[in-house]
Parts: sequence; structure tokens; C-alpha cells
Amino acid sequence: MSEKPKKRVWARWVVLAAIILGLFLFTGFFGIGLGIAPIMPHVYLPGEKLSETPILGIEGFYPTNTLVGLGLANLIVILLAVGVSSGVKSGKMVLTGISGAVEALLEMLYGITEGTAGKWTKQIFPWFATITLLVLAANWSGLVPGNETIGLIHEYKNGHPLIQAGPLTTIWEGGAGVDVESYDGKKYAVVPFLRPVSTDLNFTFALAVVAVVMIQVFGFRSQGMAYMTKFWNTKTLFSKPIFGVIDFGVGILELISEFSKILSFAFRLFGNMFAGAVLLFVIGSLVPVFAQAMFYLLEFFVGLIQAIVFGMLTMVFMAQATQGHGEHHEEEAHA
Amino acid sequence: MEVEAAKLIGAGLAMIGAIGAGAGVGIVVGGAVQAMGRNPDATGTIQTNMILGIAFAEAIAIYCLVVALLILFVF
Repeated sequence: MSEKPKKRVWARWVVLAAIILGLFLFTGFFGIGLGIAPIMPHVYLPGEKLSETPILGIEGFYPTNTLVGLGLANLIVILLAVGVSSGVKSGKMVLTGISGAVEALLEMLYGITEGTAGKWTKQIFPWFATITLLVLAANWSGLVPGNETIGLIHEYKNGHPLIQAGPLTTIWEGGAGVDVESYDGKKYAVVPFLRPVSTDLNFTFALAVVAVVMIQVFGFRSQGMAYMTKFWNTKTLFSKPIFGVIDFGVGILELISEFSKILSFAFRLFGNMFAGAVLLFVIGSLVPVFAQAMFYLLEFFVGLIQAIVFGMLTMVFMAQATQGHGEHHEEEAHA
Repeated sequence: MEVEAAKLIGAGLAMIGAIGAGAGVGIVVGGAVQAMGRNPDATGTIQTNMILGIAFAEAIAIYCLVVALLILFVF
């Protein structure tokens, strides 16, 4: 630990150089600096198509940039698995580096699962960990520089002019060094090659459907067909005249709440991550140099929390489904 | 241009719902911190349930946000 700060001394000069470069590019005080005004990129809700020809000729199945993002997230999870397995095979008692970090995360997740799911821990934990790791990789991959900023330029009516700035072609609102003669009057926007997959509603919705279907599977596995009485409760319909009808209505409401779980899961992750991406763009276009770093930190935490929340809610609902209807009533009576 | 103005106003109005979520998250965390102060040994369990409660309360604000985003960028 004591040697690490010495090795990283050069890092502070890199940071200082980056700050000076940023100030030079984005501010135009006293005639020094280029005075580039960062633009607000156009915000596009669904994943943008990278090509107009559908994959394998299937109608509506286009290669989007969020699909590339999904590939990146999967690649990160697979590399993580390979790294951890090589770390485990090395035979060290205490895992270090990336495999140690993954061990700490999984230990925490296993502890939470054990506290909630009881004897179903071994069956439920893989779902919790898989969802958390995949969503975490997807969320954090959006923070890699170059993500959502490098891509193909195409014409777009609400876009910005295309400017030749030295060797670079860029989209630029205007500023001190704009060459007006090269402006051809058309407006352009960027379609990035890469976008984090959790900003695509298709991914979050698919993951939510998988999670909710598996919650029902766990219910049937633990209780058999008795799980159906949670939704179609005719047990007390005739024995208790009024409360039986109420119990039946509650069962129908439970059925509806299973479907609203899908919407809730999907929109929570999508809304958080998409709003985070837009927030970073807006802050970057308002204050070019320093402010975005703070929001990067915020997005780092939001990505972690949303990944854990998605996994934890799945785990808690699965644990609830494995507990019988009768036990549930007793708990309510105690409370 | 009037449609554009109506869109912006509508997106702003949609975000009013965030008031309730903000108050809800505040109540949840306030209660959890009080509980942790009274019983520090139960911090782990309380934190887990607190994060779950925050997630549920925050979901309402996220729905508002999604509606606002849909109004702004889709319709």
C-alpha cells in the first residue's frame, strides 16, 4: 500500500494537462484558447440504427448501437468470469485484484440473499448475481469515454452545422475559430457506435419479463399448484360470505400487480440510466470543463445502486413467492 | 411553434410528481436513520429494507421522468 502513491505521481500531471487542454479548447478568454462551444447532442429515445439492412433479413431487427452495447456488456461479464476463474485457480488463499473485488461483491450479495430467502438461497442467488453483474456491466460501460460520442455523422433537421477544424471533422455550434465559408447550410447529427444497453427500453423490458416469469416459476416450484390460489382464491368464497369475496378480489389484484411489476422493473432501470446519460450531456453543454466530473461520480453510484436494486427486488419477490400464502397471512396478523 | 411550447410546459408539469417521491425518500431515510440510531446492531437489515423502500418511492419519480422524456423526445 505504501508504495502505490509513488508509482502514481505521473497521474497528477496527466490530470493537470487534461485540465489545461480542456480550458484551452473550451474557453476563449483574453484571446487565448479556441472557444469551442460544446453542443447539446440530439437526444434519441430508442437505440439508433447503425444500418438500414435488417440482421438476417428479419423485418424490424436492425443492428442498433445499443445492440453493440449489449455485446460490450456481455464481453465484460465473460472477461470477468475468465479473470476470476484464473484467480481462483492460482491457489492463493486471499484473492487480490479484480477477483478479490468480485468475491467481495458476491459475498455481500450472498449475505443479503441468505437473510431473505432462507433455504431457497442456493436456487435464488444465481439469478440475483447474474442480473446484478450484467446490469452493472451495462451501466458502467456507459461511463467509458468515447461511448455515445464517436460515431457516424448523418443529416438531421434539428442538428448542428458540420465544421472542418484542422484535420478533424466535427459538429460544432460555432465559436471564435469557426470558418464560416466551409458551412454548406445543412445540419448534421452523430449516430454513436456504442450506447449503454440499459438506455434501451427493449433490454430493460426483456430483463424484467425474464425476472417476473422466473418469480412465478419459483412460486410453482416451491408450492406446486397451490401457488395458483394466490391469484384465484375460491377457498373462502362460500365459507365466509363477505370476506370471501374480498379475498377473491385481492387475488385478482395480485394478478394485476404481477404485470405491473414488469412495467415497474423496466421503467425504473431505463428511466434512471437514460436520464443519467441526458444529464451528462446537458451538464457538458452548460459547463464544459469541471462540472461534469461530479456528475460522472453521481452516475457511477446510480449505476451501482440501480444494478443492486434490480437484482435485489427480483430476489425479494422470488423469496416471497417461495413462502406460502398461509405464512404470509400470519406475518400480517403479527404486524 | 405553439405545439413546441405546449410540449415544454407539459414536460415540466409531468415532473411535479417528483415532489411526492422526494418527500417519500426523505421519510424512508429519516425513519431508517432513527432506527439505526436506536439499534445499531440491526444496521444491515435496516439498510437492505431502506434501499428497497427508496427504490419503490423513487420509481414514482422515474415514471414522471419517463413521461416527461416521452413528451419531449418522442411525440
